[in-house]
Amino acid sequence: MRLAVEVERFSWRYPFAQRDALREVSLAIPAGEFTLVVGPNEAGKTTLMLAIKGIIPHSLAGRHDGTVRVFGEPVAQKNAAVLARQVGYVFGDPDAQFTALTVEEEILFGLENVGVPTSEIGARIRRASELTMISDLLDKPPYDISGGEKQRVAIASVLAMDPEILILDEPTSMIDPLGKDLIVDICGSLKRDRRMTVIVVEHNVEAFAPLADRVVLVRDGRIEREGAPRTFFDDVESLIDCGVYPPQVTQVFARLQRRGLYAGPLPLTDEEGVAAGTRLLQGAGRWR
Amino acid sequence: MIRAERLAFRYPDGTPALDGVTLTIAAGEFVALIGQNGAGKTTLAKCLAGLLRPTHGRVVVGGIDTAAKGVMKALVRRIGYVFQNPDHQLFNTRVYDEISYGPKNLGVPERERDAVVREVAAVAGVRPELFSEHPFFLSKGLRQRVAIASTLAIRPQVIVVDEPTTGQDYRQSIDVMEFLTRLWRQQGHTIIIVTHEMPIVAAYAQRVIALCRGRVLADGPTREVFAQPDLLAQTFVKPPQVTRLARAWAGAGVRADALTVDELVDEVVRVAGGERAVAVPRAGRQEPPAGPGAQADA
Repeated sequence: MRLAVEVERFSWRYPFAQRDALREVSLAIPAGEFTLVVGPNEAGKTTLMLAIKGIIPHSLAGRHDGTVRVFGEPVAQKNAAVLARQVGYVFGDPDAQFTALTVEEEILFGLENVGVPTSEIGARIRRASELTMISDLLDKPPYDISGGEKQRVAIASVLAMDPEILILDEPTSMIDPLGKDLIVDICGSLKRDRRMTVIVVEHNVEAFAPLADRVVLVRDGRIEREGAPRTFFDDVESLIDCGVYPPQVTQVFARLQRRGLYAGPLPLTDEEGVAAGTRLLQGAGRWR
Repeated sequence: MIRAERLAFRYPDGTPALDGVTLTIAAGEFVALIGQNGAGKTTLAKCLAGLLRPTHGRVVVGGIDTAAKGVMKALVRRIGYVFQNPDHQLFNTRVYDEISYGPKNLGVPERERDAVVREVAAVAGVRPELFSEHPFFLSKGLRQRVAIASTLAIRPQVIVVDEPTTGQDYRQSIDVMEFLTRLWRQQGHTIIIVTHEMPIVAAYAQRVIALCRGRVLADGPTREVFAQPDLLAQTFVKPPQVTRLARAWAGAGVRADALTVDELVDEVVRVAGGERAVAVPRAGRQEPPAGPGAQADA
């Protein structure tokens, strides 16, 4: 199993901070896995992502200990241009990363920056914009489209660089329900069709848990809990206590499990929940 | 308290945002405005608060026509608006000045003003140690509390909060909603929220107004509106996951309009355990750790 990311006892302190933002964090993510990172605000989730992207320690001042490796190589020793290509990062607020006058130029900008040959650029832009459903927006100014469209443009500009690892940091927090569904769809096709290593930081657990191979809880600068989604969410109360709201369907069955009414794996989607509940109620002879 | 009559609004570029909205909101209601982006939620909320002047029709708040001249001073005491992004609203360099700005402008004498600032800050959970801080160095959650405190300082009867939980984790979302619930329940404020978070709506709002392309698509008690998923689908709003499960299991005797995780778990336990169905809706309990909320009073 090839590891995409290995974090080993990594600690980080921002300048003037009283304490470490990350404290001896260890995490291994196999290539091709979909990881959902959850936890309260200010827990260190974004800091951990910046360390994987190499913005820490390359572009941010601070003190670190331990190592972060991307495909086996320590990030601290990696060439910034190589890292820029390997790890794509999309921020929660897409406005923060737009610079160009049209959507197409926005995508082009990144490609030219990392020296993609001109002959390849057109195909890259086409593929990325089809995948993110923005083909009809290419000639529009990025400030003149909806929040959900902006977020998809931001994802397209990162995908066009063909990263091996894609980090989405709260990709749906600023957009409406339809826009959220499209982002989840994009993530689904990246997982299914491209087997890309995807790391999503999100509060919207319900939308992303069904895609996740692994869920990681970051709290207070540490990884407090880690596991496959069907076992990760069994302690609903303590998760809610640290700001994480598991999918309602999972909550229902975790609670039924505790009351001795359910013994199977925890469902993550509507369909799984409906089926499990139907079996449960039929078993109790209650279906009329 | 609030009456909108055949309200229409067009943005200067001609885009219609509201198209014939007529509704009444009584004093003491807890209302959620829901719908797809572009459905007109924020435009409606801003029209109700007198921040936008209707293109057609009118809005009357506590007897005042929001479009009339010289009514702003009286209007701000009736209805206050908290922006989605607190940074669109905060502009003072000290938290204290931010909160006291409204009463100062309304000519409230200094000593009285200080008492008001301290009281609303306490209600909003802004500690006095923060009074001399610059709002921009506070967390988003705290900046929003400062924004709410400065709105409260004017003592409006109706408080409109645009996206109270965006970008917050669930714990922080619950804190904001519990706070609004206290204002509603203990101080008798009318609360109007604009939101996309359906579990939050289910747990806290008494009444839901769903908008679609500038019109009211559904308006009624939360439980009734969420029991119409096909109607809501027109505006791409998915009711909470719990409501979908409840409908699927209704054939076994689970009440089809359960709204919260607690309600649904209780229903399944009751039905699987063989208790007889109760026809009368029981007082809703909140999900942990939310305290008592709107449904209990619905």
